[in-house]
Amino acid sequence: MKRHTARTLLATGGLAVVTVLTLTGCGQGFSDTPDPSGSASGDAGSLTSSDDALTVMIGSSGDAETKAVQDAVAAWSADSGIDADVVAATNLTEQLAQGFAAGSPPDLFYLSTDQLAGYADNGSLQAYGDLLANKDDFYESLVTNFTYDDTFYCAPKDFSTLQLIINEGLWTDAGLTEADIPTTWDQLASVAEKLTTGDTTGLVFGGEYARIGAFMAQAGGRLVSEDGTTAEADSDANVEALGYVQEHLKDGTFAYAADVGAGWGGEAFGKELGAMTIEGNWITGALGDYPDVKPLVVELPAGPAGQGTLQFTNCWGMAADSPNQQGVLDLVEYLTSAEQQLAFSKAFGPMPSVQSAADQWKTDNPDLVAFLDGSAYAQGVPTNKGAADVVTDFNAQLGSLKTGDPKAILDSVQTNLEAVVG
Amino acid sequence: MTAPATPAATPTRPVSARPSRSGGTRRGEAGAGWLFVSPVILILGTFLLVPVLMALWVSFSDWSGRGSPLSSNVNFVGLDNYASITSGGLATRDFGTALRNNAWYVLLVVPLQTALSLFLAVLVSRRMLRARGFFRTAFYFPSVTSSVAITVLWLFLFSFAGPVNALIAWFGGEGPNWFREPTGLVHAALASVGITSGPDVLTQNTALGLSWWDWLAGPSVAMFALILMAVFTTSGTFMLLFIAALQNVGYELTEAAMMDGANAWQRFWRITLPQLRPTLFTVITLGLIGCWQVFDQIYTGTKGDPAKTTMTPAYLSYTSAFRDNEWGVGAAIAFILFLIIIAFTIFQRWVLRDRPVSRRRIRAYQSATYRKGAAS
Amino acid sequence: MTDTTLAQAETLAADPASVPPPRRRRRTLGGVSGQILLYAMIALLALVYIYPFLVQVATSFKTEQEAASNPISLLPQTFSIAAYERLFLNSDFPLWFANSAVVTILVTLGRVFFVSLAGYALARLHFRGRGVVFALVVGVMAVPTVVLLIPKFLVLNQIGIYDSYTGMVLPLLVDAAGVFIMKNFFESIPTSVEEQARIDGAGTFRVFWSIVLPMARPALITIIILSFQGSWNELSHFIVATQSPELTTLTKGVASLASGQLSQGTQYPLKLAAAAIMTIPVAVLFFIFQKRIMNTSEGAVKG
Repeated sequence: MKRHTARTLLATGGLAVVTVLTLTGCGQGFSDTPDPSGSASGDAGSLTSSDDALTVMIGSSGDAETKAVQDAVAAWSADSGIDADVVAATNLTEQLAQGFAAGSPPDLFYLSTDQLAGYADNGSLQAYGDLLANKDDFYESLVTNFTYDDTFYCAPKDFSTLQLIINEGLWTDAGLTEADIPTTWDQLASVAEKLTTGDTTGLVFGGEYARIGAFMAQAGGRLVSEDGTTAEADSDANVEALGYVQEHLKDGTFAYAADVGAGWGGEAFGKELGAMTIEGNWITGALGDYPDVKPLVVELPAGPAGQGTLQFTNCWGMAADSPNQQGVLDLVEYLTSAEQQLAFSKAFGPMPSVQSAADQWKTDNPDLVAFLDGSAYAQGVPTNKGAADVVTDFNAQLGSLKTGDPKAILDSVQTNLEAVVG
Repeated sequence: MTAPATPAATPTRPVSARPSRSGGTRRGEAGAGWLFVSPVILILGTFLLVPVLMALWVSFSDWSGRGSPLSSNVNFVGLDNYASITSGGLATRDFGTALRNNAWYVLLVVPLQTALSLFLAVLVSRRMLRARGFFRTAFYFPSVTSSVAITVLWLFLFSFAGPVNALIAWFGGEGPNWFREPTGLVHAALASVGITSGPDVLTQNTALGLSWWDWLAGPSVAMFALILMAVFTTSGTFMLLFIAALQNVGYELTEAAMMDGANAWQRFWRITLPQLRPTLFTVITLGLIGCWQVFDQIYTGTKGDPAKTTMTPAYLSYTSAFRDNEWGVGAAIAFILFLIIIAFTIFQRWVLRDRPVSRRRIRAYQSATYRKGAAS
Repeated sequence: MTDTTLAQAETLAADPASVPPPRRRRRTLGGVSGQILLYAMIALLALVYIYPFLVQVATSFKTEQEAASNPISLLPQTFSIAAYERLFLNSDFPLWFANSAVVTILVTLGRVFFVSLAGYALARLHFRGRGVVFALVVGVMAVPTVVLLIPKFLVLNQIGIYDSYTGMVLPLLVDAAGVFIMKNFFESIPTSVEEQARIDGAGTFRVFWSIVLPMARPALITIIILSFQGSWNELSHFIVATQSPELTTLTKGVASLASGQLSQGTQYPLKLAAAAIMTIPVAVLFFIFQKRIMNTSEGAVKG
């Protein structure tokens, strides 16, 4: 048996070595990808140009969004003469990662704030922010969100803020009027209490940083300092905010969407498992499934430090491997123009990222003005590399906030953030 | 684990060895032989052997996800990736959590599924059973379905307003929000008798980023639902193996034991079970190997939630690479898992080995035979 | 007689003091009550095993509200095929089904061919290094699939078949366990017929194709069943082998459904309908071949 084993190992090893060497040869042929550190500087005039068709990959929130983007891109295609194809990803993060690793990413794609750092770092992205014709039209805070390493990487495609959505029917049923719309934490708590009856909880929202962070902002706290260099998770303000949420989770006037059997706040709101919810612009599209519910959008109440909310945005990422980056730039300018963004907003809800569209949007959407007003005091989510993992961990701990210790949770988040930010 | 896999046996010399004749009918046989096995070698080598080597390289390198991992810009970084998941920080805690979850999963699934499949096999093998085929089919059917389909079904069954909770409510209880409940079962049991936090020695000392108290938290309620699902889907496969083995158990010994007055439990434990040892070994090995690789169910269903209590090393390996772009870390996790599986298999083999009969027994047997008078 | 002595000896040796006095016992477990207990237990277990699938089909025909309000019942109050409509008309489900079908058929045919070739070669043909090859096959069976997730993706990339039907089918074309099964089978059939054919002058491949293969029908059917099941239910390979939506298979597609595509919210009738339809082909195959499936494992244990 021993001879057998030795022969086996030898033969297997030999086979393996031969194959690996062959593949190395193939590998060299494939590695005409640019040096990772090189193309990240995004100097103007270095965009590729060709006649190749473009692939646009989006992470769609539903049929409305997919159709809207497809229509827009088709219109541009007809105009510019460059073919473009829109692909709605089933799992955008996974497909992007695979595309980059395989060297065949889509030319243009949705890029979220937490993915920017990672892809910018490994050279997958082409920075083009400074090349945009309309770059001064974007909101300052959005540009900051997509600036990494002092380079403005990609054009913000839209944004949303969180505000308070109230079920008008249940509101009047509880005997509340417009004067009762809460403007402080205490008022919010008392209103939630009045609205908690039977199967309905007063305020239902997702049990994650992306919602609870609004309370943290209202208390004056944030996870990472505005310039992104210091971790501030364990501030007293944050502890106060989590304490407030915990108190009302315990007395049953607040609840997490998952705990009432809904997938997210919007579903809980639509099924009237919650009388109020904290959500962003996208809720308008989702509530189409629940036509009997009448939503009223108002600004979130002010906390101890005043008004605060969170702001979410995605940008149009451009692949460094794209053979026709000039075409992509053209497409992006078209898609981020005021008229096009207003059309998108009408189709599936988010707010235009360009200031020139603000007034028109307010006129078109008088019921949703609160969302746009929120941009004045909204906080962005942390964009440092690795911060997304910390937030995932934070969310995992927030899941048991009801029985947990806010200080301990925030301390652990602080530790994790320091490893990432410092 | 949807099909009964044959156990990995050690290679033996082929039984049908015949003296080879030169020329004549045997000419060209060597060529044909190599030709016939070449597709197998090529495909297995390329898609099973080489990937393992490539992953080994990636786990020792700093490849960031772009271009070829064998290109010249990729550097050898030694054990850095392995260090990042064992020496501290969020990555280590995630790895520790994943290991803990999977360890509890293995601890509960393997004994449960072995016992249940053996029990079902014994039930179905009873001589006086009618409609044996129907019952066998019923028990085996879940093993045929895809893990994705079963996970979707399970998500519905154990949803907050689903059939399981409705059934519990019918009996007057209140079911938990199964897939959203992150409390560990051991912690919950301890809490029900009043112990809500552990002694300092457990809470203050950590291993892989988790305190020992957290290691002992038990599977979460969500994980428990997945454990039930695993037992549901694999008990049928192993039941078949046990049925086949039971049919090989000669009836004479059992009959003799019956005549000597051994009751059913004694008969089972002392006569049947020892003869099932090889099958038991197979079932436990296959169970271990399968359980340490839980991935499909997590990917389809819970994705690590709630609160990372259904995160497993296989899924963590996948997310580290494909979501977080940490390919080296993902490969490192995969290899550590590989080592764990090998270790468990070897350990289990050692535990279940055929031990030599002890001298006391031999002596007792000999004297008994002598006393009774040796049978002719 | 020796048997009784043996048994006595065993019980004596194990615990000399505990041999109970012989009692008159019936063969079956306590007679009629034992029978009833047995049947009750086994029927209850069978119910536990069957009920989930029944409720799955029933729920797929319910409306969403009813699925949430009355989950246990097996008869929908309002029979609705909305879920199936949505599935077939408003989603890519037919495409997923077609992709799965194509891949499964190709893989099954390929596997049957290559695996029986290799099994025959390892069992009957003498060539240098046969032992090594067999050791390789057995060794490969021991590698857990989780280790292969990332690296298979890398290799598919390097070779250039990533995101194509080739990439989906090629790695699945050979299965080490299948080679093992075929080799064992070929070793168990007598060589007389082959010898005769060779003496009559047939070449190796001819002997294999026309003589041995037809004799191998039982084992081939086993391979067909295992391959069909394996490739139809495969998930992780398709995750790493493809990224385009056009190449999505049923497993990947239904997995994405489960995580909430096709709109937010918990749409149980839709998801359960998808899972049910996905299960039908393997279920049909199972019911047709169940005798064989049941008997194979016996062979696996004996052989």
